[in-house]
Amino acid sequence: MADRRQHREQPAVTTDETALIAALKQREPQALAQAFELYAAVIYRLALSILHDEQQADGVVQDTFLKLIEHIDGFEGRARLSTWLYRVAYHECTGRIRRAKPLLNLDDFPEEAAVMPAHFVDWQTLPEQALSSRETADQIQQAIDGLPPTLRLVFILRDVEECSTRQTADILGLTEAAVKVRLHRARLALREALAAYFEEYLHR
Amino acid sequence: MTTLTLTCADIVRYLSDYLEDNLADDVARAARDHIATCDNCRIVLDSTQQMILLYRDHGRAQRLPLARQTELFGRLAAAFSERRPPGQG
Repeated sequence: MADRRQHREQPAVTTDETALIAALKQREPQALAQAFELYAAVIYRLALSILHDEQQADGVVQDTFLKLIEHIDGFEGRARLSTWLYRVAYHECTGRIRRAKPLLNLDDFPEEAAVMPAHFVDWQTLPEQALSSRETADQIQQAIDGLPPTLRLVFILRDVEECSTRQTADILGLTEAAVKVRLHRARLALREALAAYFEEYLHR
Repeated sequence: MTTLTLTCADIVRYLSDYLEDNLADDVARAARDHIATCDNCRIVLDSTQQMILLYRDHGRAQRLPLARQTELFGRLAAAFSERRPPGQG
């Protein structure tokens, strides 16, 4: 099974990223534009999901790219550029939290037991508007904000941004096994929260 | 040869591995057999996949406002051009 998985993982450094790193080292202006285009939105969303503050998230994008500009000449390409950037962004976020709330540690949230499915409403029977309403969007946001940050970040990197298990582990400083357990718990919890909401929706 | 059978609790435990096609062939086959006859497990699997797509759409709609993006990129581009490659000053 390990072999099958390995084949699906992306290579450590893609050719595109190697070319982009070389262009950044040469200070080609379009290289910075390309890096910004590829990664700024992901960094912004990652920061927003941790800090819940648009201005601070904006600051994290700026500081992450300033670090890239500062360190690009020493970049050896052992890590993927995206992994490096997201890891820097993640540390920028935790640094900001530590400065604001020195006693809060993102990893201190209790490891909750996996949520077992208890709502079996068939989503196929939902009217189209149930999935696309403003109210549902609020529920979606509330459910993810209600997750412990350790689960939320893994879910966002894996399922929203489609990072690999390996890359997510590298960004957050976790083992791949921990990423898998947290992703599984996050999925069960989010499915349950939305299933409960849709069940109530259908019984109105 | 004995045939592997899975319970609903097994399906929940293997849910993520099943969705990512990470199960050994005999376990995957047993999971498919279970899901074909168990409505609740089919619903849990389908809704988990839909939930992931809902979050992907919802999450990716969050973007830096365009004006802020332009301003921020301008500042970064200036910092980038000020920093010469090694050996060029």
